[in-house]
Amino acid sequence: MVEPSNDLQRHLQLLSAQFAERLAQELPELAGKAQLLRDANDQESQRQHLLSLRDQLHKLAGAAGTFGFVSLGQRTQALEQQAIRWLDALQQEQQGLHDFIADLQQLSQQQFQIELAQESTPATPKTAKSSSATHCIYILEDEPTIGENMRLTLSNFGYQAEHFTRIADLDAALQRQLPDALVIDVNLPGEAQTGLNYAAALQQRLDEPLPLLVITTQDDFTTQLEAVRAGAMGFFSKPVDIPQLENRLERCFAQQYGEPYRVLIVDDDRELASRYSLVLRSANMLVEALNDPADIFSHMRTFNPEVVLLDVNMPGCTGPELAQIIRLNDDWLRVPIIYLSAETDISRQMSALLKAGDDFVTKPISDNALVAAVFARAQRARLLSNALSRDSLTGLLKHADIKEQVAIELERALRGGSQASVVMLDIDHFKKVNDSYGHPAGDNVIRALANLLRQRLRRVDSLGRYGGEEFLAVLPECPPEQAQRIIDEIRQRFADLRFIVEGTEFAVTLSAGISCTDADISASELLERADRALYAAKESGRDRVCQAD
Amino acid sequence: MREFKRILHVEDDPSIQAVAKVALEAVGGFEVLSCSSGTEALEKVQAFDPDFILLDVMMPGMDGPQTLAELGELIDIRQIPVAFMTAKVQPAEVEHYRSLGARDVITKPFDPMQLATQVRDIWNLAHA
Repeated sequence: MVEPSNDLQRHLQLLSAQFAERLAQELPELAGKAQLLRDANDQESQRQHLLSLRDQLHKLAGAAGTFGFVSLGQRTQALEQQAIRWLDALQQEQQGLHDFIADLQQLSQQQFQIELAQESTPATPKTAKSSSATHCIYILEDEPTIGENMRLTLSNFGYQAEHFTRIADLDAALQRQLPDALVIDVNLPGEAQTGLNYAAALQQRLDEPLPLLVITTQDDFTTQLEAVRAGAMGFFSKPVDIPQLENRLERCFAQQYGEPYRVLIVDDDRELASRYSLVLRSANMLVEALNDPADIFSHMRTFNPEVVLLDVNMPGCTGPELAQIIRLNDDWLRVPIIYLSAETDISRQMSALLKAGDDFVTKPISDNALVAAVFARAQRARLLSNALSRDSLTGLLKHADIKEQVAIELERALRGGSQASVVMLDIDHFKKVNDSYGHPAGDNVIRALANLLRQRLRRVDSLGRYGGEEFLAVLPECPPEQAQRIIDEIRQRFADLRFIVEGTEFAVTLSAGISCTDADISASELLERADRALYAAKESGRDRVCQAD
Repeated sequence: MREFKRILHVEDDPSIQAVAKVALEAVGGFEVLSCSSGTEALEKVQAFDPDFILLDVMMPGMDGPQTLAELGELIDIRQIPVAFMTAKVQPAEVEHYRSLGARDVITKPFDPMQLATQVRDIWNLAHA
């Protein structure tokens, strides 16, 4: 891979800045066209304006992401799809068109920023972040207070949640914008159909089904089966434990928006290597191909692949030999190795697998079969790797790994002349939660706080479970006053969460202590100071955030 | 094997034109000629003698597929691979574009750091 030079980076940044200037003109232009569409009084001129809007949206959708305006790219793409739908549906319906126009005009009033793309040299991800963008959730719940409560709680977790009491209202909202997930109540006494029938029909209409969570008062087998058939990824009985529901949402999104899998291909046949690269890249994986087996070490180290595809017959070094070399290094034991070969003789395949390697794929292979084979292995490898390095309950870094982050960030801060903050958080009276509501409830509280922290902190922040109910966060380039604001907001949101165990509702609070880097402080001192600040917060009454002296 | 040096890029959006040029020249070491329309591409293609052609699908006037058809009259597109560039493609669309004579489709938005590799992969395949 070519290392980006500073010059090149500057050049690309300049182009992004120019694109931003262009946006300042184009977005109002879009709003203008939307106004024309609103003023149009016959279908033919509506059609003309929609065509022009569609084309401009298409251009923006294609360009914005290239310059780092990821969410604008997604918004314009969704709007382009809507414009296409309106072009088809003008005759039947005119009602929702105003909402579409309003969305277009709103676009010009919004501020869009360049979002940092994934680092160009892939490294092991520090914290599992689902996605930097806010996820949008639609809730269909006929009981207003329950739905509203759910909306509030999910908003506290950092989602953009909307609540509807009637199917008609949800339908109108779906016309405007598709959410990232749906939460639907099965029992809707005021409607002609059940929530599940509605959801099943809706999923049929969509290009891709939406992640669906179902809430219900009947949790019998038949209802669960119907839910699965409607594409449900979660099933919750009322009263709903919302943090648990949020935990399921988080898992859905992690699967959907996880970082792309990294695949290394070793094949002396350049043509085939290029072909496989293209196929896997179009399935959204990051691929590096190398033709000389001797280059394996540098690629394993810098690219850090999650799956290795090896040709069996290469001159100089065979696939099984190369696999054994990879297996000599303990760091790479987790990486699955798949052989690619025209070898169909089962006993020869077996002998290759016995030496090293995990699977055999026979050439020629269809594009879909190749993607499926690699995807399944990569998914499993990542799950395992996370299970080994992350805390099983929260998915956060473990004690030793997060402590290491403190040292790394301290050094980085000293080098760069910036300030990093270290935050120690602890759940108040946690033992009481366990004693009164049971350990599963306690685990739920811990998971809820982990998810809340993950949602509210930045991508660059590191987060770990330090002890039982104790968390440690490292916030680079974040002076203590700013850390105080961020953590205090999280403290309030956490206190607002309502947990439910067997019909009883309860709330929990947290305390936190913050310390901050300076010239002559060691990592262990930083931790000690944060710990002392946490102790002070506890001493002075809990449910608060204190700074180290 | 023929040396891979010159790329003709046909794209009406000036921002995309600029970023693709930088990406292909600075990262990939290619020589790039940018054209803002299919007509301009047809005028310049023979003098520039490209090794590879990158074509936007949706352009005002002559669109990508039309431009490809006319290019086919002027040059041998079996020797000079053509790739389309477009937003969000379905597999069926890719097949359709291939049936028109394109080698492959590059999706927008693209990553400027990866574009040269993608182009080179398509070229390698075409010349394998």
